Amino acid sequence: MSSADFTLIREATVPRLRRLRGHGLTIVAGLVVLAILLLAVIGPSISPFDPTVADAEPFLPPPNLSAWPGLLWAALSGAGTPVHWFGTDASGLDVFSRVISAPRTDLSIAVLANGFALLIGVPAGLLAGYFRNWGTETLMRVSDVLQSFPVFISAMILVALAGQSTVNIVAALAVLYSPIYVRLMRAEVMTQGARGMVEASRALGSSEVAIAIRHVLPNSLGPTLVQSSVTIGFAILLTAGLSFVGAGVRPPTPEWGLMISNGASGIMLGQWWPSVFPGIAISLTVFSFAALGDVLERAYRS
Amino acid sequence: MLLRYIGRRVAVSIVQLLGLVVVVFFLIRLMPADPVARLVGLNASKEAYAQASHSLGLDQPLLTQFLQYFGLDGRGGGLLEGHLGVSWVTNGSVLTEIGQTLPVTIQLLTLSFIITLLIAVPVGIAGASRPGGAFDRGVFVYGLFGGSQPEFWWGLMFIFVFFFKLGIAPAPLGLVNPMDMPSEPITGFILLDSLLRGEFDVFLDVLWHLALPTLTLVFILSGPIIKMVRQNMVRALGSDFVLYARAAGLRESTVTRYAFRIALAPALTLVGILYGVMLGGAVLVETVFSLGGIGQYAVRAVLAFDYPAIQGVVLVITSISLGIYLVLDLVYAVIDPRVARS
Repeated sequence: MSSADFTLIREATVPRLRRLRGHGLTIVAGLVVLAILLLAVIGPSISPFDPTVADAEPFLPPPNLSAWPGLLWAALSGAGTPVHWFGTDASGLDVFSRVISAPRTDLSIAVLANGFALLIGVPAGLLAGYFRNWGTETLMRVSDVLQSFPVFISAMILVALAGQSTVNIVAALAVLYSPIYVRLMRAEVMTQGARGMVEASRALGSSEVAIAIRHVLPNSLGPTLVQSSVTIGFAILLTAGLSFVGAGVRPPTPEWGLMISNGASGIMLGQWWPSVFPGIAISLTVFSFAALGDVLERAYRS
Repeated sequence: MLLRYIGRRVAVSIVQLLGLVVVVFFLIRLMPADPVARLVGLNASKEAYAQASHSLGLDQPLLTQFLQYFGLDGRGGGLLEGHLGVSWVTNGSVLTEIGQTLPVTIQLLTLSFIITLLIAVPVGIAGASRPGGAFDRGVFVYGLFGGSQPEFWWGLMFIFVFFFKLGIAPAPLGLVNPMDMPSEPITGFILLDSLLRGEFDVFLDVLWHLALPTLTLVFILSGPIIKMVRQNMVRALGSDFVLYARAAGLRESTVTRYAFRIALAPALTLVGILYGVMLGGAVLVETVFSLGGIGQYAVRAVLAFDYPAIQGVVLVITSISLGIYLVLDLVYAVIDPRVARS
């Protein structure tokens, strides 16, 4: 077989393989995101222990894997005492309850921050892309300066100086993530503005503001929505990182980064469970959001 | 043409930097934080509070403080002469303190980026050579995975495995053995200093202490860089000139080499941007391993409301980032003159 035949075969099989790859990963990522969303709603109410009240011995290890089936059976049939599935942390808080209660903290912060970033970035980007004058040029320069801040350190400064609360984390992340949306929206609006429909509406006598909102806005939202999945994932990482260095939410709020930070000193002594489980949760969640973002991006482009 | 372009870019960067300093200066002072209370404690008397406030210059109007910081109030010694002020907590010069912590971060980042590139470039090219194959699928998933991971947690996991379980890594307590007397720094980069002195045991010891932090960063950084190299290689291999090179009967290795040259430029941009981001972002890994880099210095400054130190850190990190972008743009303008014209 000549190398040209190989190329032909390769080209014929690649699209199918790509679709398959997309599917498996998409399903897993979608399921994880759904599970985390569900936990954000019901997590605190289904946790076996109060995630913020310590009523057990500190550093209780999780039960042996071999004991899990029996314990699970007992728990499901309603017999026996509640089990510390993931053990307890340095202050005797139940790790399992905190891991499944944390999505409410982490996900609300990430989703709200992304929402507000969209609320700032989309109108600003629409203005900057549609009406190009000195005012919107200034807006872009401000956005440039914002974007050149080191993200993690800026978030730390904003949150620590404004007061370490959930509201302030949301506000800080929204401000820091909005320039991405200004830029994406502006670029998209500029390509949309050159299309025939804008010219047509203008000929029909629509006002510029009406054209911008009714025709250009809905046609330009695609890339910003695709970016949202990625931004939510990164916002979760940043929120966890802030608590890890002590500049985020305060204990005993159930939050994954805070839990890892509390368990960090135990790691060197072999007490792995207080920080291993929340870490797995972050790792899976953020990876799933990134994978979904990638799938959405490819779907949008094709 | 090129010179004018360079001049314009440098001017824009300087204006951007000045804007940034002004924004940071006013922003942190408009925040509802009370640095005086943090310094003297909440139970301090009114007189002690007023005295501390006076010695920090915080009882002056905002504009006076601003002019002082820039050295425009006639007394000199401000930012325009290269002074970053004095830390409110340690009373040391912010410039000196940054000079001690910044090399730690740069050393860690440079080592990590070199190793990352040595791994990511061949892996990305191998993935791109057979798009859709099993290896490529693995590369693709890892590219997504590595770029979306909590590095501080992976650092802890590596400590658990390599220090606690296997006992082959040192305790995560800094760069040097706490028993050793530190020598007087020459360049500030411990690895370089030890080589300059010919102390190979120190050199190896520092490398040993850097192994896990570097492993953590390589694990995280290789994700996006592999993804970028692969993506650009796929695009370059699909371009017309590769088709022509194949049609002309060139060997596959030669074709790959040509395509790689085209794919390299965008990947280098990503490396530059990531390096700038990691100057501030390395703080998490520095914290896990207690390395004492500029990130940890920033955390200490922020949590203590040490305004001069905060301003200094932001200024230095952003200057380096802008410097990197500038160099990248200039390299582009030299490679591709169309950039300078647009």
